[in-house]
Amino acid sequence: MNFVTLAIKNLLRRRGRTILTILGVAIAIAVLFSLLSFNSGYEKQLSGELDSLGIHILAVPKGCPYEAASLIIHGGVIPKYLSNSDVEEVEKIDGIEVASPMLLHQFYKDGEPHIVYGVVMSDASQLKPWWKVEGRFFSDTEDNVMVIGRSLAEKEKLEVGDVLPFGPDKVPFTVVGILERTGTQDDEFHFLPLQVAQRVFDKPEQITTIAIRVNDVSRVSEISKELENIPDIQVVTMTQVMGTIMNLVGSARTLLISVIIVAIIISAVGIMNTLLMSVNERTREFGMMKAIGASGLDIGRLVLIETMFITVIGGVIGLLLSTLGSGLIEGFVKGIIPYSPAGRLMAPEPGLIGLCLLFSIVIGFVCGIYPAIRSSRLTPMEAIRSNLE
Amino acid sequence: MKEEVISVKKLTKTYHRGSEEIHALKDVSFTIRQGEFVAIVGPSGSGKTTLLNLLGCLDTPTRGSLRLNGAEVNGLKEKDLVKLRRENIGFVFQQFFLLPTLTVRENIELPLLFSRRNGCRNHIDEIIEVIGLKARAEHLPSQLSGGEMQRVAIGRALINEPKIILADEPTGNLDSATALKIFQLFQNLNSQGLTLIIVTHNLELAKVAHRVIQLRDGEVAQKASRHGLSTKAGR
Repeated sequence: MNFVTLAIKNLLRRRGRTILTILGVAIAIAVLFSLLSFNSGYEKQLSGELDSLGIHILAVPKGCPYEAASLIIHGGVIPKYLSNSDVEEVEKIDGIEVASPMLLHQFYKDGEPHIVYGVVMSDASQLKPWWKVEGRFFSDTEDNVMVIGRSLAEKEKLEVGDVLPFGPDKVPFTVVGILERTGTQDDEFHFLPLQVAQRVFDKPEQITTIAIRVNDVSRVSEISKELENIPDIQVVTMTQVMGTIMNLVGSARTLLISVIIVAIIISAVGIMNTLLMSVNERTREFGMMKAIGASGLDIGRLVLIETMFITVIGGVIGLLLSTLGSGLIEGFVKGIIPYSPAGRLMAPEPGLIGLCLLFSIVIGFVCGIYPAIRSSRLTPMEAIRSNLE
Repeated sequence: MKEEVISVKKLTKTYHRGSEEIHALKDVSFTIRQGEFVAIVGPSGSGKTTLLNLLGCLDTPTRGSLRLNGAEVNGLKEKDLVKLRRENIGFVFQQFFLLPTLTVRENIELPLLFSRRNGCRNHIDEIIEVIGLKARAEHLPSQLSGGEMQRVAIGRALINEPKIILADEPTGNLDSATALKIFQLFQNLNSQGLTLIIVTHNLELAKVAHRVIQLRDGEVAQKASRHGLSTKAGR
C-alpha cells in the first residue's frame, strides 16, 4: 500500500461526491479548452478564408466604414454603391491584375437571410481558380441563370437544372451549376451574372465593391494610394479587414473569457468546499492516523494527492468532453461571435492540451493546499476529540 | 529489576472552557516498568483518557514531567513526537477507527506506510495469526464483528513493533464474552514482554492486570494490586 492507493480508496468511499466534483472540474476545463482552441482556430480560419478570397484590395464607396467593408466579404450589404464607371477608372491603374465588380444583395426567405452575389464570372474564376462546379458556370451574357454554393443547395434541396422563382418579381431562374464544397462562406451564396443581378434588384449600373488582385503583393500599399485618388473610392486592404474583424470579435471574446473565469472560480470554490467538507468529516480519522504514526506532512500529502486525482481526472474528462462536443460548442460560440468563418473553428493543439492539463493541476494545488495545511496542523487530540464533544 | 519505560512526576493537565478552568489531572506521579500490564480505572471524568493521551504523546501536559525510555518528552518538537510515537507506542481506541475501504490486512499495514518501513508480508501474516483473523484477512471492516474489529485495531497497534501498547477502553463497545477474549489476547501479548497500559471501566477485566492505577477527580486515588482491587477500587 502507498499514499496513492490510500487516496484512491478514500475517494471511492464517497463516490457520488467525488464524481460530482470531478464533473465540476471537467466542465470548467472543457469550457477553457474550447475557448482556447476556438481562439487559435478562429484566427487561422479567418486568415485562411481571407487568403482564399484571392483578393488583395477591396474598393468600396467613400464613407463606408471599415466595419461595413469587412461585412462585404461575409455577404454583408451596405447602403452605398459605386458605379460601373469606377471600375473603368480602377482598371487603368498599373499593376492591377483583376478588378472584379460585384453587387451584393440580401433577401429573406422563411426568415432566413440569403445572400446574392452579382459577379463577372470570367473575373471570379480568375480570382478563385480552385472553384469547381457540378454542372457549369454561367457566361456573363446569360440571363436568368445562377450558380449556388453546396451548403445552400443541400439546405434548399436544389439540384442542377432546377428552376426556381427568384427576386422580387419571382422570375424563374435555372440553377446551372452547384459549387463543389469550398469550406468558405461561398458555400452559402447565390451567384448571378452581374448585369442580371443589377436588373433583378433594380440597381442599374450600381456595384457594391470592386475586388482587386494585384500582380505584385509588395505593391499593395502603393496601388492602394493610387486607388484612393479616384473620387468615389475608399480602399480597404485585406490586412485591414482582418484587423477590423478581429477587433469586432474581441469584445465578444472578452465576454466569453469573463464567463469562463467566473466558471473556473465557481468550480474552484466548489472543489475547495468539497475538500474542506471531506477533511472536516475525517478529522477523527486523521487524529487516528497521527496516533498510529502519521506526521502532519503525511496527512497533508494524502489530502493533496486526493485533490490532484480529482482535478487531473476532471481535466482529462474535460478535454475529452470538449473534443467530442466541439461541434456543439462551436455552434454555440458561432452564435455569439459576430463574424464566423465557415469550416471548423476549433483547432486543438498539443500545446493547448498540455496547458489545460497544467491548469487543472494548478487548480488542484490551489484548492487542495488550504485543506491540506488545515488537516496537517490538527493535533491528534483535537482530531480524536473533535466529534466527541 | 526491569527498566522504567514510563516515569511520570507531578503531571498536571488543565483545560480552559471559556472562563472555567478544568483540572483534568493534578500532580499525578507513577512509574511503569518494561513488561508490566497496568490498568487505569476510575469513574467518568476522572482523567483516565487524558492521562493515556499524555502518555501516548498525543497531548502535552500543563505541568510536570513525562519520561519515555528515560528521555524527557516535554518540550519536544512535533517532528520528534511523531518519531517517538512511531517507534515506541501502539494505540488501540474504543471506537476502533478502522478505515472502512481498507481490508483487515491493509488496516494492519497502515502504520508501516507512515513509518516508511517496507511491509514485510510475513510480518503482517504473523500479526494476523496472533490476533486470530487469518481467515478474515481480506475482509472489510463492515464484514467483521465488533470483537474482530478490535482485534484488527490491536494488530494495527502491533505492526510497528512498539515497546508499549496504550489502549483506551478497548472493550467498551464489546459484549462481556468478546471483552474477555480481547483481554486474553492482551495477556498473551504481555506474556511475550510487551508493556500494556489499559484504560477501562471494567473492574473484572482490570483484575487481569498486574497493577491498577485508580484515578478520581484527576488524582491518583489508589494504587492497588489486582488482588486488592475488588475491595479498594470497586464502585
